[in-house]
Amino acid sequence: MKFEVYQIIVPLASLGFVFNLFRRFLKSKASWQEAALGAAFWLSVGIFALFPDAISTALADLFGIKSNINAIIFFCLGLIFFFQYKLFFMLKKSQMATTELTRKITLQQAEKEDLQS
Amino acid sequence: MIPPEQIWIIIPAYNEGPVIEQVVSKVRESGFPNILVINDGSKDDTAQQARSAGAKVLSHPINRGAGAAAQTGLSYARRRGWLYVVQIDADGQHHPEDIYRLVKMQKESNADIILGSRFLEPSPGIPPTRILYNRISNILTNTFCRRSYSDTQTGFRMLNHRAIRNLRLRLDGFGYCSEMIVQAEEKGLTIAEAPIQVTYTDYSLNKGQDLVMGITTAVDLLWKLLFYPSKMK
Repeated sequence: MKFEVYQIIVPLASLGFVFNLFRRFLKSKASWQEAALGAAFWLSVGIFALFPDAISTALADLFGIKSNINAIIFFCLGLIFFFQYKLFFMLKKSQMATTELTRKITLQQAEKEDLQS
Repeated sequence: MIPPEQIWIIIPAYNEGPVIEQVVSKVRESGFPNILVINDGSKDDTAQQARSAGAKVLSHPINRGAGAAAQTGLSYARRRGWLYVVQIDADGQHHPEDIYRLVKMQKESNADIILGSRFLEPSPGIPPTRILYNRISNILTNTFCRRSYSDTQTGFRMLNHRAIRNLRLRLDGFGYCSEMIVQAEEKGLTIAEAPIQVTYTDYSLNKGQDLVMGITTAVDLLWKLLFYPSKMK
């Protein structure tokens, strides 16, 4: 079996990311759910880089997609939409928290001024 | 008739330095002495101008949007136990004497919220783009309402103590206009409409919602209505 350069670089990089996640988990900088999800993602990327044809063909057969290239494109699009949704959700949550904090500060300040006057 | 002293006029304002003093003065001249300006993190002298015109001013440390400013006004009204508030826009498009039309409608209908509608007796000079934008917003909002309203995006509204006590707005931007109506119906508050006049100037046209902002507002509202219906209650 002949390996291309990317088939060495990508799995090594994936292992690096998994190692980094594990370190963050040990330092309590990441929850176990975060670490597990991240490790699963990067291990999948590493394994996919090692066996791209076999995995993409299996995916294409599983979902009834014509070719393995199409399967990769659909899979990547799905992944992008998922991350887009996650980012949008996080953004909305952080915007709501910022507004809440802003309003709290304003009302506290107003209360102080009312007590002084 | 409700005495004007019992009514607080709430004006959410962002970078309205050039006009806010005039807007506050006109409201005072119309017979309403109690004015609260919510300065939504303006970078200009909006707060000073409003204060010098005789308004009480609450300032957001950073800009959070018209909805956030309106909610701060309502929270403050709740804390102070105010009985009635009228919210108007800070860009000078509304005529303060129309507050009396809302007050009259409130007395006649005993509704909890009175919407000042620009389209019951349409003022001349409303730009066609505004009419189109408002029609689209009306369709979108009325889809989620039991009743149909002629101007769901109006910034001219009167709320009584029941509405002040029960409403909890969560949308930061202009989507709060629709959110207030949908939430009010969910909470069993009653809504009526009264005709108002508006005067659009180049200044006020530049301050309102444009198409991009309108689309963002619609997405925000739909996101909340479809994915977080409980948060609209």
